[in-house]
Amino acid sequence: MDLLADRLGFLRGTQNADGGWGYFPGKKSWVEPTVWAALALARDPHSPPELSRAWGLLRDCQNSDGGWPSAPGVEGSTWVTALVITLGDVLGKKSSQLARAANWLQGLTGAETSTLNRVLRAVKAPAVEREVKDPGWPWRPGDSAWVEPTCHALIALKKVFRRTRDGAVGHRIEAGERMLLATRCADGGWNYGSPQALGVSLPGYVETTALALMGLQGNAPQGAVRRARSLKEGLRSPLAGACLSIALALCGAGENGRALTRRSSPDILLCALEALDPGLLQPGVQLC
Amino acid sequence: MLKMSRRLFVPMGGAGLAAAYTALRARTPERLVSPPGTSVVAIAKVSGYRCDLVRPILDGVRACGLNVRGKNVLLKPNLVEFDASTTINTDPAVVAAAYAAFHQLGAATVLVGEGPGHRRDTYNLARQAGYYAVASNFEQVFTDLNRDDVTGVPGFLGSETLYLPDTALRADIIVSLAKMKTHHWAGVTLSMKNLFGIVPGAVYGWPKNRLHYAGITTSILELNRMVRNTFAIVDGVIGMEGNGPIQGRPKPCGVLVMGRDLRAVDATCCRVMGIEPLQVEYLRMAGALGQIEEGRIEQRGEPVAAVATGFDVIGRFSHLKKNAKNFKDRG
Repeated sequence: MDLLADRLGFLRGTQNADGGWGYFPGKKSWVEPTVWAALALARDPHSPPELSRAWGLLRDCQNSDGGWPSAPGVEGSTWVTALVITLGDVLGKKSSQLARAANWLQGLTGAETSTLNRVLRAVKAPAVEREVKDPGWPWRPGDSAWVEPTCHALIALKKVFRRTRDGAVGHRIEAGERMLLATRCADGGWNYGSPQALGVSLPGYVETTALALMGLQGNAPQGAVRRARSLKEGLRSPLAGACLSIALALCGAGENGRALTRRSSPDILLCALEALDPGLLQPGVQLC
Repeated sequence: MLKMSRRLFVPMGGAGLAAAYTALRARTPERLVSPPGTSVVAIAKVSGYRCDLVRPILDGVRACGLNVRGKNVLLKPNLVEFDASTTINTDPAVVAAAYAAFHQLGAATVLVGEGPGHRRDTYNLARQAGYYAVASNFEQVFTDLNRDDVTGVPGFLGSETLYLPDTALRADIIVSLAKMKTHHWAGVTLSMKNLFGIVPGAVYGWPKNRLHYAGITTSILELNRMVRNTFAIVDGVIGMEGNGPIQGRPKPCGVLVMGRDLRAVDATCCRVMGIEPLQVEYLRMAGALGQIEEGRIEQRGEPVAAVATGFDVIGRFSHLKKNAKNFKDRG
């Protein structure tokens, strides 16, 4: 059986009536699995109805500030705004909705780069053990920047920059990349945020290393790409494996054709990432 | 000398006021005074994870007067990270024993749920940690609380809505199946802090940074104030000392500590660990939530003295150790 077709069929069969996907079949729709499932189905010529319904749900749950909530009905705009911008770009949507979303995302910074935290750092009371000169992105306004939301913001804003050539967006991308490079762990990979805690070096994790490479894409250091390739050995987490495959493909270090195994999990996010065409995350790549 | 502009002074002044307010709240009598009466805490001495753990849990639950017949029970272990060289998580043998014990006690349903603080692939983490041996249909009884459907609960930090997983909200009893560990930010992590794991990452991120910005102590207190249908079983068979909760060293201790009053359970665990509970900020400030004084805790099973051992702590928490200088004296 075609394992990719199996995954796409699973995604088509688990779309909720409202057009979204939950993290698991039968669960309420969340923005994150909805975006990844739609992106995965974007490679399937039979999926326009599903994509249209998914976009309809997302279009209707944007917050007035321009951002998106984690799920319809959950208060506040969050990091998933970046995912929606990416999907909107892939689908060729050109609306004021996405422009407002990009503005919201551009204005979002980690709290560790606030004036107060810069002062605390200057007086030797650092709240975070890393350089805080360059702002990354938090999960939610008011939190610190972390590797994962920063990577998704970079993917989204690189797509925006490709279309708009907006210098402010370009500067924010450069700063975000510097933030990522400054948080790289001693082992060459990435942890979730800081490369150390209480002076002790933290290890890079597969999924966050993969995400960092997805955010950096062509600007990823070769040493980090080599490190990521080495992490494939003995890899146990299917989710980390899916992220790593996407990351290596985006860095030009992927293998021809991904080896999918028989699907054993009802995890919609995992299924979508395994079925994703990595090229869709590159700037300028849209559905024809 | 640091020069401070007006732009810098204003937020610093605000931070100072916030700190003063927090300190004032911490000294408000109702936060320090325990409720009237006493609480029962059971300590079971066990020789290891391979011995019968079901019996001690059954005895402990009964000694604490918890009736679960017909109730929906959610077991909430501490599943953080897997490292074969140390003991980060609640041992699967303890989870399995609790699963069997609550079934034997007549619970209508027994589910297991956890939302790890920073690992995304919860099912893989559970597999690595050996949790699939807990039940033959583990994936049917386990919920990734990070990615469950949620419902907003008002009243976190006064006016904020806190989103919590529906699986946790539907439970009649949430059993905090914690690990006995030191913690490099909170001093110790036991049954009360273990409730961080019910806060969903899909709303708050990985890690759940909102809780850190609210303050670890404040968040522990708020979660335990909002989630009251709890019971605690702390896995101290092999705990963790030093730079916990992830990078510390295994510490054999040979106990399970159980009770309905999570503050009393954690205070008892501290005494077992050679730590003065009143020096642990969250326990000191959790007055309204339960008992902390030895005289107000009815000990069942083993006495503390029979199982007490000294857990090493990192330097910044040396004042927590029993016989350390008074809290006010530390430099």
